[in-house]
Amino acid sequence: MADEERTPTDDDERRTIARLATDTLPRLIERMTKSELGELEVREDGWRIRLRRPVALTAGAGDTKSRPAAERPRPTSAGSATSAHAERISSTARAGQSTRLDTTRSTVTSPAVGYFTSRDGVSNGTKIASGDLLGHVDVLGVRQEVVAPIDGVVGGLEVESGQAIEYGQRIALIDVNVQ
Amino acid sequence: MFSKVLIANRGEIALRIVRTCRRLGIGAVVAYSEADRDTRAVHLADEAICVGPPESRRSYLSAPSLLSAALVTGCEAIHPGYGFLSEDDTFAEMTRAHGLAFIGPPPEVLERFASKAGTRTLLGRHGLPTIPGSGMLRDDAQALAEAERIGYPVLIKPSAGGGGKGMRMVRSPRELQQAITVCRSEALAAFGDDSLYLEQWLEENRHVEVQVIVDRYGNGVHVGERDCSVQRRHQKIVEEAPSPALDVGQREALAESAIRAVVAAGYENLGTLEFLLDREGNYYFIEINCRIQVEHPVTEMLAGLDLVAEQIRIAYGEPLGYGQQDVVMRGHAIEFRINAEDTEQDFQPQAGVVETYLPPGGPGVRMDSHLYSGYEVPPYYDSLLGKLVVWGPDRAAAIARARVALDELVVDGIVTNIPLHRALLSHSTFLDGEFTTNLLDRVGSGAFLAAARAA
Repeated sequence: MADEERTPTDDDERRTIARLATDTLPRLIERMTKSELGELEVREDGWRIRLRRPVALTAGAGDTKSRPAAERPRPTSAGSATSAHAERISSTARAGQSTRLDTTRSTVTSPAVGYFTSRDGVSNGTKIASGDLLGHVDVLGVRQEVVAPIDGVVGGLEVESGQAIEYGQRIALIDVNVQ
Repeated sequence: MFSKVLIANRGEIALRIVRTCRRLGIGAVVAYSEADRDTRAVHLADEAICVGPPESRRSYLSAPSLLSAALVTGCEAIHPGYGFLSEDDTFAEMTRAHGLAFIGPPPEVLERFASKAGTRTLLGRHGLPTIPGSGMLRDDAQALAEAERIGYPVLIKPSAGGGGKGMRMVRSPRELQQAITVCRSEALAAFGDDSLYLEQWLEENRHVEVQVIVDRYGNGVHVGERDCSVQRRHQKIVEEAPSPALDVGQREALAESAIRAVVAAGYENLGTLEFLLDREGNYYFIEINCRIQVEHPVTEMLAGLDLVAEQIRIAYGEPLGYGQQDVVMRGHAIEFRINAEDTEQDFQPQAGVVETYLPPGGPGVRMDSHLYSGYEVPPYYDSLLGKLVVWGPDRAAAIARARVALDELVVDGIVTNIPLHRALLSHSTFLDGEFTTNLLDRVGSGAFLAAARAA
């Protein structure tokens, strides 16, 4: 998937994006696949490229045999092996492939176990763009960012600020804009 | 006593620890990876918390995730089980720094005993005979020089962890050079540490280990020895106690020298001292395991102790409360490790769904396993499915019970090593108590299986 939302304004930018997409990105993806890293970020020519492993590779695998007293939502997002996004100011370009089946909504799950804090101003109905910060999970004082996987509207925010959260726990649903 | 403990492990040992916590009235919180959501330990725990994806590095080996899980669930202590972070002094230190107790030796003790080479020197000073070996290997050149000094064959061993991973016996410099790279990567994958050292290889030896319990105040007892000579590529398959190779006098001398040395060296909590025993009855200390061991039930069957409970009590700061004369060992116990591996296909680990699981029962039969019918063995972790432990008033009675229990045990849907255990029980070398650690590799498991089929 490579949905560039804005046409680059000049040739330089176009060339940069082409280089990032054909050269830098594959290199980063390869490097990340080989490593155990959960997230990788590089800055180049004023662009920031961040690769993040999907939080749930086993998406839905055990859905039919859930724990009886499950107050423990399981991760349901299906992600690609490596999803990535590059952003500049407010422009967003996504690369990588997606195997997401439900095209109308996407699940945001916790990247870590810790305490969740939502970003100020994010609540049900907030319009967000892919890559926008929704909040963070505090793991022993280190912040792990929770990022919107897709453009859309926040719905079904399930976790309040200050609440303990486990890895893969559902934080919110993002409804895709229908225009 | 602790009110809540985080169990930072999986499989049968997580379940084993949950059971003791429940008995002691301690809240059990199981930390699990996404691959272990539908496990017995998770279901039986008072609480369960997902700490990461299936890869161990991001779940069972991720100290920040485990500590964070302990803190958000309000635990007071962490039980690390065996393997993973169980002997990691940094993890123990981090645990303490976050105001939690580590159920195992305190970090200083783990650090003191972290280097196997250093431990040999330390306990050698306290009277234990040791086997010649090298210090930590810096590079291949040093490895070659050290091997030359010790004399081939030598055993390459990882400094961290156990379970035969990263371990190879080599007979020549060429073999050493080939094996060392493999050992390094195996050790790194299994323990997150690729440091190796060398040890002299005794051709015909038995593996005998002594269980010790030492409290914070320097009171210690031994709980006898276990014989773990039935091994395949340095992985224990069958363990028993008492060792058929020792008489009463030898047994006491070994166990007493072990407990004396570790108490003098300032050890604390549960530990196991491993020795090699040669044909002449000489024993050599090789290493100490600063954790609960897979084969601990063998000792529990003889002594009537709950070793996990002892670990927890000592970590809480309770005094031992009994002396050596109170430790009474009765009868004979044998443990069979039931692994998901294909003995006919070079012991390849198996993953898949266990369609039917029926554990054996009856007097003197104990099955520690996390299996249930429908359980899916994930491909990410080791192949241990459980442990069948039998007890009898003497070795012959234990063997008779083992035969019945192994026939009764059903694990369908996945290939296991149960046939190998049955074969062992009809092999004269095992029946005569004559097993040495290299026997299975030398003769080949195929030969054992074929002999059993022919019989």
